Amino acid sequence: MSTVISIENLNKSYDKQSVLSGLNWKISQGDIVGLLGKNGAGKSTLLKSLLNIDEIDGGQISVFDEAHHSLSLLSKEKIGYVPQENDEITWLPVADLIKFRKQFYQQWSDEKVNYYLDKWQIDTRKKMIELSPGQAQKVLIILALASMPELLIFDEPASALDPAGRRDLLKELVSLACDENITVIFSTHITSDLERLASKVAILDKGKICYFDDLDKTKENVVQLVMHGQQLSQQQIPNALRSDIKGNNTNCVVTKVDLMWLEEQKQQGVKIDINPMGLEDIFLEITAS
Amino acid sequence: MNVTQFSISASSGIPIYKQLCTQIERMVLTNVFSQGEVLPSVRQVASELEVNPMTVSKAYGLLEERGVLTRLRGKGMAVAKQAQEKSNQERLLVLSAMIDELVKEATLMGLTEDELTKLFKEKLGAEYSLADIKE
Repeated sequence: MSTVISIENLNKSYDKQSVLSGLNWKISQGDIVGLLGKNGAGKSTLLKSLLNIDEIDGGQISVFDEAHHSLSLLSKEKIGYVPQENDEITWLPVADLIKFRKQFYQQWSDEKVNYYLDKWQIDTRKKMIELSPGQAQKVLIILALASMPELLIFDEPASALDPAGRRDLLKELVSLACDENITVIFSTHITSDLERLASKVAILDKGKICYFDDLDKTKENVVQLVMHGQQLSQQQIPNALRSDIKGNNTNCVVTKVDLMWLEEQKQQGVKIDINPMGLEDIFLEITAS
Repeated sequence: MNVTQFSISASSGIPIYKQLCTQIERMVLTNVFSQGEVLPSVRQVASELEVNPMTVSKAYGLLEERGVLTRLRGKGMAVAKQAQEKSNQERLLVLSAMIDELVKEATLMGLTEDELTKLFKEKLGAEYSLADIKE
C-alpha cells in the first residue's frame, strides 16, 4: 500500500509550550485510523499541522508524496477536512457557502450534498452563524464529503453530533470504505466511535504517537493477566504496563503476551487467566503508564 | 441467510472479525446454515452491522482457510460441503471454549461445583425431554 501521509520528527509548540515533539507517523492508503488522545494531547494541532493550517516549528511532513506546505491543487482537491469548530465564513447562507466551495473542485457530488441536506433537515437559507453547533458541523461534513476526497480528516466528528447524526456518518464511512480505497483519520477521545470502523488505532500522548497498530491486533495483544498465587512486580513480567498485587494474586496488563514465558509459568504450575480488554481500557492503560 | 442473525459487540475485547468467525462457525456446526448456502456479501454485512468491510473480509477469509466456507466464483461465499461433517473432536473444541466461559462466570458468581453440575444436569434433562417430545 502506498503511503498517504508521512511525518518525520515533527515539532510544534504554542507560546513556548511544546505540544508535539519529535513525532513520527506514517499512514497508508486505505487505512481508517482512529487517533486517540486525552483532552489537550494535541490531536487538533497534529491534524492542523499536517494540513498546513498551523505552521510547524520543525520536521518533515509529506501528503500524497508532496511537501505538505506546497501541495499541488490536484492533491489539495483529494483532501476533505472537517474541523472541530466552524472555520467557514459565518455570514454566508448555507446555500451560498456550498456554491462558493463547489467552484474550487473539479469533482463535486450535488447528489450527495442534496441527500444529506435533506436527510439532516438543514435550512440552506440560514447563515452558518444561525445554525446550532450540531447543524453547523453537519454542513462541514457535507462540504468535506461532496468533493469525493481520497483522504478524509475529521477532528472530533462526534463532538457536536447527536447519536443519529453519528450513525449516519458511520454508515457513510462504511459505504465509502466498501467502494473506494479511501483513507480516513478521525480524532476522538470517545473510543466507541472508532471501534466499529477503524482498522488502526493511534494514541497521541506526551507529544508523540506512542502507539500505532491494527485495532484487531491491539485487542489481541493488549490483555490483562491474573496470576493466581503469585506476587510479581512489573519488572518480572515481560511487556507489562503495570502490575498490582492483590492478596495472593498479581493483576497486570501486558502489551503482548510472551508465549515462552507463559509456557514456563504454566510448567511451574502457575494458573494464569488471560482476559481481553476493551479499547477504552487499553487506551487508559497505555496513556497512564 | 440473514445478516440480522449476526450480533457483534464493538466494545468487547474480542476483535469483531473473531466474533463473526465464531458465530458463523457455530451456526454452521449447529445446522442453522445449510450446506452450499450463500452468505451475504461483505458489503451487506458491513453496511448492516456498520463495521469496516475489511473486518468482514477477514472473517470470511479465515473461515475459508479453515474449510468452513468456500468461495464461489461470482457468487461470493458459501458454506463448504464438508463443513458440517466436522469431526466430533472439533465440535467438542468449540463447546469446550464456551464451557470455559461458563465456568469462569460461575466462579465469579461464587457458585459451587455441585450447584453448577446440578444446574447443568437439569438443563441437560430439559433439553433431552424436549428432544423426546419432538420425536
